[in-house]
Amino acid sequence: MTSSVEPISLSQRQASNDTGIDREALARLLVEIARNVDPDNRALYEGVPAADHRLERLRQLLVGGEISELSRVTHLLDEPEQLAAAVGNVLPEATARASHAQLGEALAPAVERAAQRSIQKNPNTLTDILYPVFLPAIRKSIGEKIDQTFQSLNESLRHIFTWHGLKWRFEAWRTGTSFSAVVLKHSLIYRVEHVFLISRASGLLIAHVTSQDATSEDPQLISSMLSAIQDFVKDSFKEKENSGLDTIRFGELRLWSEVGQFATLVAVIRGNPPEELHEVIRDVLLRIHQESSRALERFDGDSSQLPGVETQLQTCVELQHIDTKEGFPWLVVTAVLLALIVGGGWFFLSWQSAHRWQTYLSRLAAQPGIVVSDQKIRGGEFYVAGLRDPLAADPQSLLPGTEVDPARVHSNWHFYQSIEPEFVLKRLSASLAPPDSVRLSVVDDRIVAEGEATTTWIDRARAAAQQLSAGGPVFDISGVSDVSAEERWQAYVSQLETQPGIIVADHNVRDGQFYITGLRDPLAADPRSLLAGTQVDPARVHASWQFYQSLEPQFVLKRLTASLAPPDSVRLSVVNDRIVAAGVATTAWINRARAAAQQLSAGGPVFDISGVRDVSPEERWQAYVSRLEAQPGIIVAQQNVRDGQFYIAGLRDPLAVDPQSLLSGTQVDPARVHASWQFYQSLEPQFVLKRLTASLYPMDKVRLSIVKGRIVAEGEAPDTWIDRARAAARQLSEGGPEFDISKVRDVSPDARAAEHWQYYVSRLEAEPGIIVAQQSARGGDFYISGLRDPLAVDPKALLSGTQVDPARVHSQWQFYQSLDPKFVVKRLTASLSPPKSVRLSIVQGRIVVVGEAPAGWIGRARAAADQLSADGVVLDVSQLSELNLAELNQLREAIQTTDIFFSSGRVVPGPEQTPVLDRLADQLKEFAENAHKAGVTARFMLTGHSDITGRETANASISAARAETVRALLNKRGVAPELLQVRGAGTFEPAVPENENSRTGNSTNRRVSVTVNLE
Amino acid sequence: MLQKKICMLGGFAVGKTSLVRRFVQSIFSENYLTTVGVKIDKKSVAFPDKTVDLILWDLAGEDDIGSFRVSYVRGATGLVLVADGTRPATLAVALTLRERCEAEFGAMPFILLFNKSDLTDRWAVPEGEIDELKQRGWQIYLTSALSGEHVDDAFRQLASMVAN
Repeated sequence: MTSSVEPISLSQRQASNDTGIDREALARLLVEIARNVDPDNRALYEGVPAADHRLERLRQLLVGGEISELSRVTHLLDEPEQLAAAVGNVLPEATARASHAQLGEALAPAVERAAQRSIQKNPNTLTDILYPVFLPAIRKSIGEKIDQTFQSLNESLRHIFTWHGLKWRFEAWRTGTSFSAVVLKHSLIYRVEHVFLISRASGLLIAHVTSQDATSEDPQLISSMLSAIQDFVKDSFKEKENSGLDTIRFGELRLWSEVGQFATLVAVIRGNPPEELHEVIRDVLLRIHQESSRALERFDGDSSQLPGVETQLQTCVELQHIDTKEGFPWLVVTAVLLALIVGGGWFFLSWQSAHRWQTYLSRLAAQPGIVVSDQKIRGGEFYVAGLRDPLAADPQSLLPGTEVDPARVHSNWHFYQSIEPEFVLKRLSASLAPPDSVRLSVVDDRIVAEGEATTTWIDRARAAAQQLSAGGPVFDISGVSDVSAEERWQAYVSQLETQPGIIVADHNVRDGQFYITGLRDPLAADPRSLLAGTQVDPARVHASWQFYQSLEPQFVLKRLTASLAPPDSVRLSVVNDRIVAAGVATTAWINRARAAAQQLSAGGPVFDISGVRDVSPEERWQAYVSRLEAQPGIIVAQQNVRDGQFYIAGLRDPLAVDPQSLLSGTQVDPARVHASWQFYQSLEPQFVLKRLTASLYPMDKVRLSIVKGRIVAEGEAPDTWIDRARAAARQLSEGGPEFDISKVRDVSPDARAAEHWQYYVSRLEAEPGIIVAQQSARGGDFYISGLRDPLAVDPKALLSGTQVDPARVHSQWQFYQSLDPKFVVKRLTASLSPPKSVRLSIVQGRIVVVGEAPAGWIGRARAAADQLSADGVVLDVSQLSELNLAELNQLREAIQTTDIFFSSGRVVPGPEQTPVLDRLADQLKEFAENAHKAGVTARFMLTGHSDITGRETANASISAARAETVRALLNKRGVAPELLQVRGAGTFEPAVPENENSRTGNSTNRRVSVTVNLE
Repeated sequence: MLQKKICMLGGFAVGKTSLVRRFVQSIFSENYLTTVGVKIDKKSVAFPDKTVDLILWDLAGEDDIGSFRVSYVRGATGLVLVADGTRPATLAVALTLRERCEAEFGAMPFILLFNKSDLTDRWAVPEGEIDELKQRGWQIYLTSALSGEHVDDAFRQLASMVAN
């Protein structure tokens, strides 16, 4: 076999896509193969051809595809954009398949950095993301704080007026803690009996710890049931996912649960726990989560995975507060009993001796002539003081028989004269030494003397009687007849006869009676008054007097003085039986005097008025002017008389006497007086004082007075007053009297603080929802207490602007709920959350609700009105009308005509329904939002339907499952789950009627329909 | 202590409650079913090396699937599906309930009990249908709450399924 085969040349040239193939080795291999195929070839190809293009061809045939693929991949890897696109395509899948632990560790630093960067860039983004997580936690925390506050308030109020309350108040004062803290300390008695740690995912019990002697049923079952109840409440009331059932209360027992990320801690507490306990429990739960987060997350029912948790729980169970009950205080009781016995014995003895002493005292009091003015018992000794008549019984002699120890009686008696009739009688008998013809006796507490006696004795008896008349018994001596009465009568008659103006015509004595007749001038002495001192018994005098006018000069003078009323400037006198008038008088008076003189001339004494000079108008004017000049505050500058007219000019102080008023009584004719007064300010001290009083309004505590021409102010005043006074003093210093205010004490800082305080209190009192019960200022500090509505203004906030130092204000406010309509409105707004279309206003003390609202809301408002009426607050809901939701109707129509369709027997809609679901989700969200704006809540009922093929029960199930699926799908698209309700209608509400015998079923009926309800 | 949450699912009156009444530990009255919608019982199953406590959530059986509280199933590791052997429709209900649970929480081990096996004269589920289901690898038991037949076996089987 010949061959024209060219020898293989081992090309050293590299192909473009060739990366160093060992061509020589390849050539050797091919030659080797050729030799093995045919031994002849062994001879033919001795050597290895150095180069052969066929070799290249062969290579192309064998690995050409791989080479081009490889170049494509190389290209892909070299181009960053293409590589990124390729990796991007597989990244989600790759992430899903990667080991979670490794991936988590690899990504953690990058994610942390990304989060940091995001926060630096715009904190709001992360805040928005975390908002739904934080908000419930914050809300819950605030809620608990408020509960705490109310708990402490409730306890404080409950105990405020009890005996315990007083004791605790003392304790609070002693320990310097707040009253409410002490109340809580004593009243919150509790014991944590069980603690369950429950897995949130499965409701399985992770750990259970119980306190000594507390029992319960199977904890595993209890924990599962607890989480079932949690689920039940959550489902039933559409509560948010991450909040839990906080508290369950059953009589004395409370179940408090704290929800953590993976586990719930439930504490069973007996008694009345403080709200702070929540925090303790929460801390334990947090610690458990921190220590065993991973084990909790992976908990699959094997509690051996979580050792050490029970130790943590144990700390909860040890929590308790028991009021210490001390043993019965026998020692104290015995001591008190002993003290009572000793005290009782002493009390009895002292009562007994005091009783005996009182007996003695009453004996003394019954004694005539003894007056007890003071008595006391001190240290078992008796002290008595008083008056005793020397004639009365000796007090000492009365002691026997009273069992009072005379040695312990200390008496202090002053002698006095008793005016009891028998003592007076004794004394009279001793002092008057009545003659035998006179007999003294006591008749009806009066001392009566009878018989006959001389005038001298009667005089002495009368003197004694007069002495006695000052408080003593009556000493009647009328029964003693004077043996010398007629002598005294004669003396009386002769006395009358010497009296001017009295003429005795006749007198005599008959049967011990005296008779007298005559004339008397009315101006003469009264004969009766002359009787006094004559010792003639007036009762026995029978007088008969005729009046006449005596013309004796002195009587005439008297009558003239009475009838003419001469001015002071005229003096009347009797000179040689003539009546002489001398002096100065007005013309009118002189005329009257002259008339009287004419009358008298017919038989009477001469009345000489020639000595009276007539006063001229000028003189009267001068008298008036000099009066004016004597007036303080009036300065007469000029005055003259011209043509019978009087002119006067000058200065007068407004506070001085009105010159016009001085005119009256001067007999100057006012019509002829022309006065021209300029006002000026007198600097006479009394005027200055008046002006200062008017201008400075001195406070109650400042007194102004004039001391030696200076005006002196004394007392207390604030600095504002002192400043004004100082300014006045400066003004006065230029010519006026000195105004001395150095004795006024400056009380301004305290007074001003008190004023500010009063202003603050009045502000508080004007504040609705705040009732000031008590306020006082003591030692520079201010104390106030009262009630405040939690919705009222914070009293502290009102302090600003009052200049009261907040550090000096000690306030104690108790919360209460004001029934002031304003506050009721606030509370209603918070509790009813009225829609925007409703307005609450206060009209004449009534709360009126006006506007449109959904029926459900109106119902709640009515219920609130009923409740409030019990408190006397009127909530008028009559003007509410049901909301008209025309605008929403169109959207509602669109939603309600949307159906989601399903394939036969399927509960998940096909992919062709995705756009319908997207649109429906958008519409539902829009509708819910608009409804919310209108103040109503929209709920969407998803009703699943099936066709009639298959069994009825299966259809019912499938229809409900379809509705559930749609709910889940809408939920994924952002429709809030609490707005979606589901039900299965089975075949009962077909969209199109179906034939019973249909085998395929109508696709139109396999659907989920939506209905919109408003609440 | 190894516990597993198990949900018992089944239509109305399939005998779930009577099934557990005699064979499990219970402290709650059956009123819970009507009030809360769930009643919790415990069945302890002892194996040579451990004891598994099955915490049984007996969910109120209703044919209206719409009122079924899926949330009670959260965290369950296994299901007990109960059907009434005398009413074939209850099988569909039980299976639909299982479908709902798995849609929500993923697949989990289960056993299927055809209850009321003592009522042989009214038995309505054909043997073939049961065999067909067994072909799928399902654990199926014909039980009687009256006699207690197979009840313990069924729970033991489920316990071994969920404990591993």
